[in-house]
Amino acid sequence: MIHFKDVSVGYPRHGLVLEGINLHIAKGEFVFLTGPTASGKSTILKLLYQELRPWSGEVIIADLSSRKIKKRKVPYLRRKLGIVFQDFGLLEERTTSENVAYALEVTGVSRSEIRTRVPRTLNTLGLSNKAHCYPHQLSGGEQQRAAIARALVCEPFVLIADEPTGNLDPEISQEIMHILVEINTLGTAVLVATHDYSLLNGREKFRRLHLSGGTLVYDGSVEGFKAPDNFIGRQAGPHQS
Amino acid sequence: MLRVFKEAFLGFSRSRTMSFFAIVATIFNLLTLGLFVLVLLNLNALIRRLEDKVEVVVYLKDKADMAAVGIAIEDLSRLEGVDQVRYLSKDEALERFRADLGPDSDLLQDLETNPVPSSLSITMKPGFRDTLHVKQVALEAESLNFVEEVDFGREWLRRMDIFKHVVSVLGAASAAVLSLVAIILISSAIKIAIFSRSKEIFIMKIVGATNGYIRRSFLVEGFFKGALGGAVAAGMIYGISEIFSRKIIQITRFPDEYYLFTVLAGVLMGLAGSWISLGRHLRRV
Repeated sequence: MIHFKDVSVGYPRHGLVLEGINLHIAKGEFVFLTGPTASGKSTILKLLYQELRPWSGEVIIADLSSRKIKKRKVPYLRRKLGIVFQDFGLLEERTTSENVAYALEVTGVSRSEIRTRVPRTLNTLGLSNKAHCYPHQLSGGEQQRAAIARALVCEPFVLIADEPTGNLDPEISQEIMHILVEINTLGTAVLVATHDYSLLNGREKFRRLHLSGGTLVYDGSVEGFKAPDNFIGRQAGPHQS
Repeated sequence: MLRVFKEAFLGFSRSRTMSFFAIVATIFNLLTLGLFVLVLLNLNALIRRLEDKVEVVVYLKDKADMAAVGIAIEDLSRLEGVDQVRYLSKDEALERFRADLGPDSDLLQDLETNPVPSSLSITMKPGFRDTLHVKQVALEAESLNFVEEVDFGREWLRRMDIFKHVVSVLGAASAAVLSLVAIILISSAIKIAIFSRSKEIFIMKIVGATNGYIRRSFLVEGFFKGALGGAVAAGMIYGISEIFSRKIIQITRFPDEYYLFTVLAGVLMGLAGSWISLGRHLRRV
């Protein structure tokens, strides 16, 4: 469902950031994308939601290829990706309910359908009693849940989380992880990019992709990572430390 | 489509601080512009009233031949810019003089003969009440042999000309300064808007809104903000001119259409502001 074929990409002023990335994520998978800061995790996510185009290689999501997709079609692709950020990304002047509804409004969903789907999603995330609160009235954990609810209400085929627990304390972080795992068991693929390795505790059987210096150095289970022999290809990438 | 309207309308009432600033900037611009135009209108009215007094008075010799005077009246009427040529007999002229003197007119009681000459009063059409045209008429009149003296208020005209010139120069300079101030204000408001809306625009894009949807909602929002700013500015101009007229001195008011123009100017500013502040954001994917 998600394929990266020998993808290399960089930024105009920084040069090459990712080199020769090959990966595949199937429907319904749960994947951790790990690596130190500036290893290229966010870049991989930007390639997924088409904020960046690869300099070489190809990114394929569902049936859409980065080579062929037209700029004006990108919004339609994004509607099928649920994206969650470290800083929650809620609109301050809207209530929780309105923030979640927003994702449906911009895609032209009918008022009546919004009236059913939003409360249902809020309920799934345990936010029913906070529906009419504004973001500043919510705790960090609640705001992130609201962001997840917004990502989820469009029924995406993959939920992409970029450092979702970055602004949260340890107990709440575990709560959020628990929610993401739940969502995955219901069938949505989940990709969590993080440099907080404590999130992987207790999830040994989960799949892990590890980036280092711009290349994918590991693709296997969380528990398998402890052994250095599992590294793929070169250890040093475009950025030699 | 209706949803976009409702959305933008609610949207602007939500981001209160930013909307408030943008609307205040619009109101300020339109208010200063409007008051400037109001002052110009009043200055023009004043100039017009002063010009109404422009008159060429041709004093005739006592024994002027009436036939020749009649021909002269016709000739003078045909000169460029002349509106009317009126003949005042000695008696009429005396009456006029008496009226002009007002309470001092009892000075004339002891006169045995009428010292006031008969005269021709020449008035000019609007647009021709300047030194150039008036002098031409005065020179023509002076050349007639039954004319004693021609008085065309030389000094008065000279001052009028200077006054008009100063007004137009100051007017142009003020307009230039005001335009500059307006542009600076608007671009500051836009820059702030870009800055504060960039997060919102990013979220809209992440969630899958098309550029068209984003553009439409911002434009509609700009439309309403601009219309509101324009309406408030128009109301304030109306209020100011009413209060001024009642408490201080009657002034020329805005013609009705100008209030509408103010609202339209506001709408234009609002739309332009939204369009520009969106520009850079929407070019990125």
